[in-house]
Amino acid sequence: MRAAPSTLDFLLVPLHRWVWADTQRRARKLLRFAETEADGGRDLSRAAELTRDPSLRRLYLRHAEDEMRHAELFRRRGRELLASRARVFEANWLAPGERGLDDLDVGSQSDESLLAFLHLSEKAAAGRFAVYRDVLGGDPQTRAMFARILEDEEFHMSYTRKQLARLAPRRQGLRLWTARAARLWKAYLRVATAVAGVFGTLMLALQYFLVLPLFAVLAKRAARREPEGFSRARADPPLESQY
Amino acid sequence: MRILGISAHYHDSAAALLVDGVPVCAVQEERLSRRKNDAAFPLAAIEWCLDAARLEPEQLDAVVFYEKPMLKFERILTMALRSFPRSWRSFPRAMKNTLGAKLWVKGIISSQLGVRASRILFTEHHQSHAATAFLTAPTERAAILTADGVGEWATLSLGRGSVDEAGNVSLELLRELHFPHSLGMLYSTFTAYLGFPVNEGEYKVMGLASYGPPSFEASIRKMVRRTSDGALALDLSYFEFHEGARRSFSDKLVAELGPPRDPLDPIDLDTPEGARYAAIAASVQRVLEDILVDLARSLQRETGLDDLCLGGGVALNGCANARILCESGFRNVYVPSAPGDAGCALGAALAADRLHFRQPHRAVPDHPYWGPEVDAQELARIAVEDGLELAQLPREDELIDRVARELAQGRIVGWMQGRTELGPRALGNRSILAAPHGAEMREKLNRSIKYREDFRPFAPAVPAEHAERFFELPPGGVRLGRFMSGVFRVRPEWRERLAAVTHVDGTARVQTVEREMAPRFHALLEAYGAAAGIPVLLNTSFNLAGEPIVNRAVEGYSTFRRCGIDLLVAGNTVVGKQRAARTAPEEAVA
Repeated sequence: MRAAPSTLDFLLVPLHRWVWADTQRRARKLLRFAETEADGGRDLSRAAELTRDPSLRRLYLRHAEDEMRHAELFRRRGRELLASRARVFEANWLAPGERGLDDLDVGSQSDESLLAFLHLSEKAAAGRFAVYRDVLGGDPQTRAMFARILEDEEFHMSYTRKQLARLAPRRQGLRLWTARAARLWKAYLRVATAVAGVFGTLMLALQYFLVLPLFAVLAKRAARREPEGFSRARADPPLESQY
Repeated sequence: MRILGISAHYHDSAAALLVDGVPVCAVQEERLSRRKNDAAFPLAAIEWCLDAARLEPEQLDAVVFYEKPMLKFERILTMALRSFPRSWRSFPRAMKNTLGAKLWVKGIISSQLGVRASRILFTEHHQSHAATAFLTAPTERAAILTADGVGEWATLSLGRGSVDEAGNVSLELLRELHFPHSLGMLYSTFTAYLGFPVNEGEYKVMGLASYGPPSFEASIRKMVRRTSDGALALDLSYFEFHEGARRSFSDKLVAELGPPRDPLDPIDLDTPEGARYAAIAASVQRVLEDILVDLARSLQRETGLDDLCLGGGVALNGCANARILCESGFRNVYVPSAPGDAGCALGAALAADRLHFRQPHRAVPDHPYWGPEVDAQELARIAVEDGLELAQLPREDELIDRVARELAQGRIVGWMQGRTELGPRALGNRSILAAPHGAEMREKLNRSIKYREDFRPFAPAVPAEHAERFFELPPGGVRLGRFMSGVFRVRPEWRERLAAVTHVDGTARVQTVEREMAPRFHALLEAYGAAAGIPVLLNTSFNLAGEPIVNRAVEGYSTFRRCGIDLLVAGNTVVGKQRAARTAPEEAVA
């Protein structure tokens, strides 16, 4: 199974090229990737612990080991590149890399739905890594590293698809579409939560400036009167009270 | 009485169950959820405790939460008001964070467990720490010192506890220090400054401290001043944690000490920057130790007692604990296996039993093994399915001999026995064990198993009766080493032969193993001594970086498969990495 960039990634190639052009930015992105890969590896080892299917357990463990190895490759290369302390705009949201399985609750998934999710996730990651490999012409070492990792990602795409076909020969298409829908739903939830967060922050900030100033004056005055050092502890605070 | 204790929502949530005054089980949520330092409401831990005791929630006499949420909210709101308008960024976040779930603990417990609200009780945070420290210690009269980042308002408390002949318990907190003045926050601020995660990386600061001279001590003493009553006051112009801003230290601190370490930058101790980080770690460690020793010394003079019970996250600092034992005048220092927030679940339940319900004191079994039992059959089944070499050794001596021989040959062993420990340290039931003799073993463990920084030391375990032969233990040192709570010097003549567990400054965080507490682990240490000449093993927690300590056999197995552990032992089942005759058909299905 070959990795192919999504249409969006294909259209964003110039942007990816710009993001990866700077050495410092590249180093920091690789170090972030290392963390994401390590997180993904932990989720896969959890999947291996939870499945009742011995074949899947072995494959998940191999997959987890791959992710750990990738994390180490990213970390090593990132550190090699991190030569100076100069700060750069990292642009993580522009090129998020492999999202990993960080928002997946492995324990709540059946083997079939997990395989479908993994397949789509690996496919997306492999497509993006293919783009990164292609835009890294100026850095042959990093490019070679992505090429090596890409081979593993293609294996991951392949085994998850084959195992899904083994476990759900008649429902594999449905499982994949359900997983796609779940990914979309999660993306929507992320956006909705972020929007709600911004709205909540604005409302609370408004209250902060409108309601709190008077109380703040009183609190500051009270703080000035507080003696420094030890205070007497309350004797036998009642356990029924939350105060 | 049946009392459930709960700690949750900040870090290391846990549940503990007390039946008729004695703990029957306790476990951290992270061991079950497999999320390191899981702070979520510990539903899995509660369910496991109730299942283990065969109880339904309605059979509980009380559920005790380890702190008072409204009092904590008062502190958060007050601090936002005091730092107005600088707190404008952090205020919305703090409110969303608190109003989301943390404030409604009573409702959450009531709805999750179906327990009547009148049965839900709340101890104070430091009262829980004090109860964990005093009521689990084998003493009837002791001074109590608790210190952590912050509870409700208190960050440090001093007190004393006693049990009379009738079993009536008195636990009196005499005085406390209030937020933002906090030894725990001081140390955490430097943990963040040095680029380590707060509430997790404090061990790293302690490990790093041994590599540098405390040359920034004067600078740090400017940031923390002793008050006339013996307490301390932070100079808040060096800190921002009390304003909840983007970071916990201010530009003034950066101007004083230099730029903070970026978490992504590796620490290279051969560079000037690496040496500076080590010197800063050494300096903050020195200041923390000096203050704690001084506080403990005053408390000893004031109470005239021989025993001190230490609680709170700061009590995980083994170097400070050892100095307190040596210099404060106390003969014994007791630190529970879980002095941090996880242990508060147990402390809250004990406090409710002894202080609220006035039940007579019953001695708490003096061990840390309160969690789920390992299932050796589960490991055997998986090993057979995966075609790995398997041996089941029902005779204890056969098992011990085999493992001791493997360890003596330089193999690394994943060792799972009995019930999992409560607290952050593996104390012989969920441990990775190895020969402690060569520095190359430390490098191998760091490189192929723990995947962690080279400057972090590994701990030795030794039978209590042999401990003084290898380590310079002061009177009371064996006791402090019971739960690996003290850092002591390795005797110079043994340092070379204990190179893998001897830190750069010649010290080790030794675990002294009593036969009665862990008979099988003790027997293994003795057998290893017979095979290798020294009854000391390297003992590190059975987990990989970023993962909680393993709990079930299958989790031990998955860890074993993903790293350089050579042999996995669960109960009487031994699994090696070599394939059995039948090979696994994984390639065919991939």
